[in-house]
Amino acid sequence: MRHSPTGPVQQLLVGCLLLTTCILSGQAMAAGEPRFEVVPGKATLAGNFARVQLVVSEIIDGDRSSDRSTDLTRKVLYTSLNPDVVSVSRSGELLARGNGTTRVEVMGPGGSKAVQLVEVSVSGVTADPAIGFRQQISPILSKHGCNSGSCHAAQYGKGGFKLSVFGYNADFDRKAIIRERHQRRVSLVSPRESLFLRKPTMQVPHGGGHRLDQQSVDHDILVAWLLSGAALSSGKAYEVTRLEVFPKRRVGTVGTTQQLRVIAHYNDKSIRDVTAWAKYDSMDESILEVAPSGLITTSGRGQAPVMIRFGSQADISMFVTPFATNAKLDGWKNNNFVDELAAAKFRELGIEPSGLCDDATFLRRVTLDLIGTLPSPEMARAFIDSKVPDKRQRIIDELLGLTGDPARDRFNDLYAAWWTLKWADLIRNSSNKLGEQGMWSLHNWIRESFRTNKSFDRFVGELVTAKGSIYSSGPANYFRINSNANDLTESTAQLFLGIRLECAKCHHHPFEKYSQGDYNGFAAFFKSVGTKRSEEFGLFGGESVVVVKAGATGKATPLDGKPVEHPLDLRIPLAKWLTSKQNEFFSQNVVNRYVSYLLGRGLVEPVDDLRSTNPPTNVALMNALSKHFVESNYDLKALLRAIVSSRLYQLRSQPTKANAGDTRFYSYYRVKRLAAEPLLDAVDEATGVKTKFKSLPLGTRAIELPDAGDFYSNYFLKTFAKPKRASVCECERSSDENLAQALHTLNGDTIASKVAAKNGRVGKLLTAKSTHENIVEELYLATLARRPSAEEQAACREFLSASPSPKECYEDLLWALLNSKQFLFVH
Amino acid sequence: MFHHRPLPVIFGFAAILLTVAALPPAAVAQYPMLMGLKPVAAQVGQTSEHTISSRYNLYGAHKVLVTGRGVTAEIVPVAKPKDGKTPNLTTLKLKFTIAPDALPGVRDFRLATPRGASTVGQIVIVRDKVVSETGNNDSAAKAQAIKLPATICGAIEKAEDVDIFKFTASKGQPLSFHVRSQRLQDRIHDLQKHVDPILTLRSATGSTLASSDNYHFADPFLATTAPADGEYTLEIRDVRYQGNSHWQYSIESHSRPVVETIHPLAVALGRDVMLAPVGHHLSAAGTLKINLPADIPAGQSWQRLALTSGPSNPVRVVASSLPTAVEGSGGNNDVKSAQPVAVPSTISGRIESESDIDCYVFEAKKGEKYTFEVVARRAGSALDPHLRILDSTGKQLSLNDDFRRLKRLTQDSQVENFSVPADGKYVIEVRDVHLRGGPRHVYAVRTTKAVPYFELFLDSDKTQLTPATHGVIFVRSERHNGFAGAIDLAVDHLPPGVTARCGRILANGTDGCIILSADADAKPAISNISVTGTEIQTAKSPSGPPLTDIARPMQETYMPGGGRNHWPVHTHAVNVGERSDIRSIQLSTQAVTLKPGGSTTIKVNFERAPGFTKNVTLDVMFQHLGTVYGNSLPKGVTIDAGASKTLITGKANQGQIVLKAAKDAPPVKMQQVSVMANISINFVMKATFSSPPLMVTVTKP
Repeated sequence: MRHSPTGPVQQLLVGCLLLTTCILSGQAMAAGEPRFEVVPGKATLAGNFARVQLVVSEIIDGDRSSDRSTDLTRKVLYTSLNPDVVSVSRSGELLARGNGTTRVEVMGPGGSKAVQLVEVSVSGVTADPAIGFRQQISPILSKHGCNSGSCHAAQYGKGGFKLSVFGYNADFDRKAIIRERHQRRVSLVSPRESLFLRKPTMQVPHGGGHRLDQQSVDHDILVAWLLSGAALSSGKAYEVTRLEVFPKRRVGTVGTTQQLRVIAHYNDKSIRDVTAWAKYDSMDESILEVAPSGLITTSGRGQAPVMIRFGSQADISMFVTPFATNAKLDGWKNNNFVDELAAAKFRELGIEPSGLCDDATFLRRVTLDLIGTLPSPEMARAFIDSKVPDKRQRIIDELLGLTGDPARDRFNDLYAAWWTLKWADLIRNSSNKLGEQGMWSLHNWIRESFRTNKSFDRFVGELVTAKGSIYSSGPANYFRINSNANDLTESTAQLFLGIRLECAKCHHHPFEKYSQGDYNGFAAFFKSVGTKRSEEFGLFGGESVVVVKAGATGKATPLDGKPVEHPLDLRIPLAKWLTSKQNEFFSQNVVNRYVSYLLGRGLVEPVDDLRSTNPPTNVALMNALSKHFVESNYDLKALLRAIVSSRLYQLRSQPTKANAGDTRFYSYYRVKRLAAEPLLDAVDEATGVKTKFKSLPLGTRAIELPDAGDFYSNYFLKTFAKPKRASVCECERSSDENLAQALHTLNGDTIASKVAAKNGRVGKLLTAKSTHENIVEELYLATLARRPSAEEQAACREFLSASPSPKECYEDLLWALLNSKQFLFVH
Repeated sequence: MFHHRPLPVIFGFAAILLTVAALPPAAVAQYPMLMGLKPVAAQVGQTSEHTISSRYNLYGAHKVLVTGRGVTAEIVPVAKPKDGKTPNLTTLKLKFTIAPDALPGVRDFRLATPRGASTVGQIVIVRDKVVSETGNNDSAAKAQAIKLPATICGAIEKAEDVDIFKFTASKGQPLSFHVRSQRLQDRIHDLQKHVDPILTLRSATGSTLASSDNYHFADPFLATTAPADGEYTLEIRDVRYQGNSHWQYSIESHSRPVVETIHPLAVALGRDVMLAPVGHHLSAAGTLKINLPADIPAGQSWQRLALTSGPSNPVRVVASSLPTAVEGSGGNNDVKSAQPVAVPSTISGRIESESDIDCYVFEAKKGEKYTFEVVARRAGSALDPHLRILDSTGKQLSLNDDFRRLKRLTQDSQVENFSVPADGKYVIEVRDVHLRGGPRHVYAVRTTKAVPYFELFLDSDKTQLTPATHGVIFVRSERHNGFAGAIDLAVDHLPPGVTARCGRILANGTDGCIILSADADAKPAISNISVTGTEIQTAKSPSGPPLTDIARPMQETYMPGGGRNHWPVHTHAVNVGERSDIRSIQLSTQAVTLKPGGSTTIKVNFERAPGFTKNVTLDVMFQHLGTVYGNSLPKGVTIDAGASKTLITGKANQGQIVLKAAKDAPPVKMQQVSVMANISINFVMKATFSSPPLMVTVTKP
C-alpha cells in the first residue's frame, strides 16, 4: 500500500502550506472554487497499524454535503504535514507511523486551490506492539476470505487447515494456526518464513490463490503478531457492538463512485476505523460494484445497498441511481397512504407508473388474490356492467367479508380456505408428520382463525404458547411439527420475524448480528416443552398432550432483548415480546409477505429474510404499512384491504417504455403464475367439472385441501408445484415453470377430460342451445372474467365455420383459453 | 349372601362319554359383540324401537340388561326359521321403554343369548324427540328438514359421508348442539377405528357461523345464538371424512340452558349448599340451592339442578361426606397467601383465569399420612389439574400431574400417602398444567388420611357358562399404602343354577379366581354379579373391621394391531347359555402338592361337542401375547411349558399341565387355580371354559 512520500522537498512544501492554512484558520476556499467536506474533520489513530479513511464530498448547498454530493475522495490531493506521524495514501487512507499530532492537507480537485486541513493525532505506537488474534488477526482472515465457507471454514477445511466459519471460534482458529500439525504453519523465530504467510502470498503454492500482498499493512500485522508471541488477545476490546457507515445513502447517476468509511464501536465504548478490514458486498451487482477497499461504482439504474460486515456486525449503505430526472405522474391519484408513499418512490427514482387496469382485470386479479378463486361469469358480468362509482371498493369489502351484510359477505369461507392454505404451507401442516387427526386439528384451527379474522398477534400467540391435546388444540401440533427447541427456534424466527437464525446455530450469522449466544438464548424459550400421554380420546386415540415440563424453568433471551424469566412457561414472555407492538420485525414480516402475495414481490426479498443488511425497497412504505397493521391490532383483512384498495395494486400489468426497467417498485402490476391449487380450481370452475380428491367428498376445492402429505395427493397439483410442506421458506412453493406443466395443460388428461365432459360447461351450453355469441362470451367470462372483444368474437365465428362441429369448436376454444397466459396468470 | 356352594365332586371320564351321544349338534362358542344401536338415542317417557347390530349371532337373544333406573328393554321377537336351522342374525330389533323420570344420559345394556352374554352396548337417553337421519342428506341441497328441539340420530356410515340437516330459527334464539358419538365407542370392543366427528353450523347462504370439533374429548358441542330469522344448516361428518356403519351419533339440539359443571364442585351430603351452574344460555340461572340426601354414597353423582326454566340436564356433582371448604374470593395465589383449610376435607375451587394458582394451607404433625386427590376432568371440568404439595417455604415435596384410576390414565391428579416430614404447615397447590383458566375450570380436592387399602378389578366383564360346565372369573388386586394382606373373594347375585367356588388372593400375590359352575339342568339366564374382596385378617392386622372392596369389571377390547386392552364398565354379567363346543373339562386330580423345586403333572381331558374340531389351548394363566391378565398360581409356581401339552388339535381331547415350584417357592395351602380350555374367537378374544377348581399346595422345603 503506497503512502505519501516524505522527502525534504515535500516537507518544505508542507511547512509552507501549514503556515498558509493557519492563516486561513483551517480552511481556504477561494470564491468560485468547488467546496467540499472532509470526514472526519479530525482523525485519531491509536496504536501500530491504525488506519483512518478520509471521505471527501462535494458541498452542493449550505455548509454540509448531502446524499446527492459527489465523492471527491479520489479526486483531491492529500499531503501529510508530518509523515513520521501519519502517512496518507492517494485514496485518502491515513496510516499511523509514530506518536504525535500533525495535519493532513486536502487540496481540491482538478488544480483547485481550495484546501482543508485534517488534524491528526497518533498515539500508542510502540516498537513492540501487542497484537491480539481476536482484535487484529481474525478480522484480517475474514477480510481476505480465509475463514469463509468455501475456504478453510469448509466442513473439513482446506489442505488440512481448518478455521471456524467467519472466525466465530477465535481460540480454535488461533490454535489451528500456531499449534496444529506440530506447529508447522508458523515460525515464531522467523515469522516471515511461516507457511501461514508464505501460502497466501503465493511464495509457495496455495489452492486459494494470492490473497495477501507481502508489502501490505495486513502482512505487517500478521508478522507483528507472530513476533509478539501470537497472543489470543491484546487485552483491548474486541466485541463490536455496532458499525457506523458513511455515507449511509448516496443518490447519483450510473458511473458514480463513492468511497465508504466504516467505524466499529466496541463494547468498551471505544471506536476504530475499520474501513480497511471491513468486508463489502454489492446486494445487486447490476446496479453497483464494490471494491475490497470500500469504493463503490454504480453501474445500473435503480436502488441497491452495499453490505458492510466487520466483527460480527453488519450494516448497509444505500445507493440510488434514478431512471430519469423527471418522472411524470400525471393523472396519478392517491387512493390511500400506500399510493402516497409509492408515488414518492416513483418520483425519487424517476419512474412513471403504468395506468389503471380495467374493471374486468381488476375483478379477476382481486378475486384470485383475496379468495384464491376465479370470479364466476355471473359475478364478472355484474361487476363489469355495474355503474356504481365505488364498485371496486365494494367488491373488495365483499370478498373480505367486511360489509356486515350476511348476504354480501358470502366469500368468507373461501377467504378462510385460501389463507389457511397459505399459512398451512408455512407452518408445515402435514399428515406425514402429524397423522390424520393432528393434521385436521391444526387445519381446522387455522381455518377457524381466518374465518373469524383472528388478530395475527393472537394467532401467533396461541401458536407459540400452544398446549394441550394435539387433537383438541390445533396449534399444539406446532410442537409436533417442530419437535425440538432448535426447530422451534428457527421456524418461529423465520415464520413470524422473517429472521433466518439457522446459521447462528453453529456460528455467527454471516449477514447479521446474531451469534450462537443469541440463538441459544432464543432456543431456551422452548427447552421445557414436552409431551405427555392421554387417553381422553379413548383407547384408540393415541393422542399426545403438549405440556411444559414441571420445574424446567430458567431464562431465555429475545433477539436484541434482555433475558426474561417465567416461573411456569417461558413461552408466555416469548409471545408477549414476539407480538409486541414495539417489535417491528413481527409486523414488517407479515406486511412484507402480504405485499409479496398481492404485488408479486416483497418490499424485502427473499420475503422471509428481513435484516438490516437487506432493507426494503421502499422503507417508508414498509414502515407505514407496518404502522397501519399495528394500529389495526394486527387485522389481516385491514392490511389486505389497504393494499388492494390502493391505486398501486390496481395498475395495469403492462409496463411502459418508461418503467420497463423497474422490477422492484411496483410501477406496473407484476403478473403472477396461478398457484397449483387455485389453478386447478379455476380449471374446474371454467370447465364446470369438479375434481374429485381421494377420500374427500366431491366438491372439495383444491384450496380447501388440508394436507400436503400423501393422503390427498393429486398429480395435477404435484406437477404444478404444490409444496410438500417440508420447509418454512416461502420458496418451497416454486413459481418456476417447467415442461411437465406445459405438457399437462396442453396435452394432459386433466384439462382434456374436463373440456370434453358431457356435463361440463360446453356440454351444458350446447344443451341449452345458447347462441354462438353467448357461448363465446360465457367461455371468456368463465376463464378470463371478461367479455371477448369484437375481434375475438369475429375470430371465433370464423373458427366455428372451420370446425367440424360446434362442439369441437367450443371445446377447442375453451382449451385454448385455458392454455392462454391470460388464464394461467394473475395479471 | 355370598354363594360358597361346593361344587359337585364326582366327575368321571366315563360319565361324560355316556352323555355325548344324546347332545344336540355343537354350538359355536362365539358370544355376540355389540357394534351399534340405531337410533342410538331414546326419548324419556317413550317406547321406541331400535336396531342393534353385532358381530356374531344374536339369534335366540332372550333378555336385555340395562344399567340404571328407568330404562327397560325387550327383544322384538324374531320369527323362527321354517327349516329349523339356526339363523345367523347380526341385527336385532330392541324395544326400549324409558320412564318419564329416567335420568337423561348414557346407559349400558347387554343381551343374553344362547351363545353367551354380549359385550356392552350403549343407548343415550334424551329429553327431546328423536329424529333419525333419512335418505341422502349429503349436501346442502338435500339437507333433511328438522324442527327443534330434537335429538338427531344418524350414522357417519361411509367414507366421505356428510349429514346435513336444516332447521329454522329466529333471531336471538339460543341454540345448542351436543354430539355423542366417539364417547359411545370405547366400550365397543371390536371397532377397529373410532369416529372423530366435527359439527358445522351454516347460514342460509352457506357461510359458516360456528364450528366445533373436539369439545367433550372427540365429540363436538356448539352453543350459539341465531344471528337472524331464517334457515340454518347443521352438518356433521368425521373430521377425516372417514366412515363406518357403526359410527352412530346423537345430536341433542335445543334452546334450553346447558349446564356443564358447577361451582363449588363438591357438595356436602345432607346440607343445603348454594352453587352456581356453569354452562351455556344460563343468563338467568344465578345461584341455586341443592341438598343431596345424606344417605347417598360419597363420590361422583349425576344431579339435575332446579333452574328457573325447569330441571337442568344432569350434571356431575362430587358428593362429599367430609367437611367441605370453598376457595375464597381469590388472592390465594401463592404460599404466603394460601387459604387455611382443615384436613381431612373436600376443597372446592376454580382456576379463574390464565396462570391462576390456588394454594391452601393446612397444619399437620410429623408422621401423619395424607392422600390428596383432585377431581376435575372426571367430573366434567375443563381443568387439567397439576397438584403439588409444598412446605411452608414453598419447597416442593410432592408433585403429580396425571394418575391412573380404574386402570386408565386420567388427566386428574393425586398425591397418595404423603408422609408429613415434620410438624408444621403445608400447602396444597392446584393449577392447570397448561396454565389455562376460566369458569369451566372447577375442581375438588379430596384430602383424606392415607390408610392401607386395596382395589379389585375383574377381567373381564362377562362369564359365559353352559349347563354342566365351569367358568372362571379372575380378580386382580391393586394394593395401596402398604396393604399387604390376603384377600378372600366372594360373589353375589349369581343366576339360578349357578354356584361359585371362590378363591383368594394371597398376601404375596396379585390375582385370585372364582370358579363358577352351572348345574347340568341350568336354564338360560343372565344376571349382573358383584364380586367382593375382604381382607383376611391376621394377628398382625390393625383392629377394626376388615377392609373390603367391590371389584370393578373391565371390558376387554380388541386393539388395532391385535393387542388386548380394557375399558371400565359398570357390570359383570354371568350368562347361562346353551351347551357349546366344550361340554366338560376333567382333571386327573383336584389337588396337587408341590415341594419347592419339584413338579407335578395334571392330566386334562375335555369333551368336545360332536363335530367340533377346532384347536383348543389349555392354560392356567389368562394371557395374550405374553401379557398375563389373570394368574392365581401361588408365588413361585409356574407352568412348565416344555413338559406340558397345551395345544389340542383336531378331535384330540387330552393334554397335560405340568406345574413346577421354584426352589424358593414359599409354602401355601390350597390355592385355587383354574385349568382353562380356550377357543379362539378372533385374534384377541377367546371363549374360555374352566376346569373344576384345582387346589395347589406348596409345602415347606
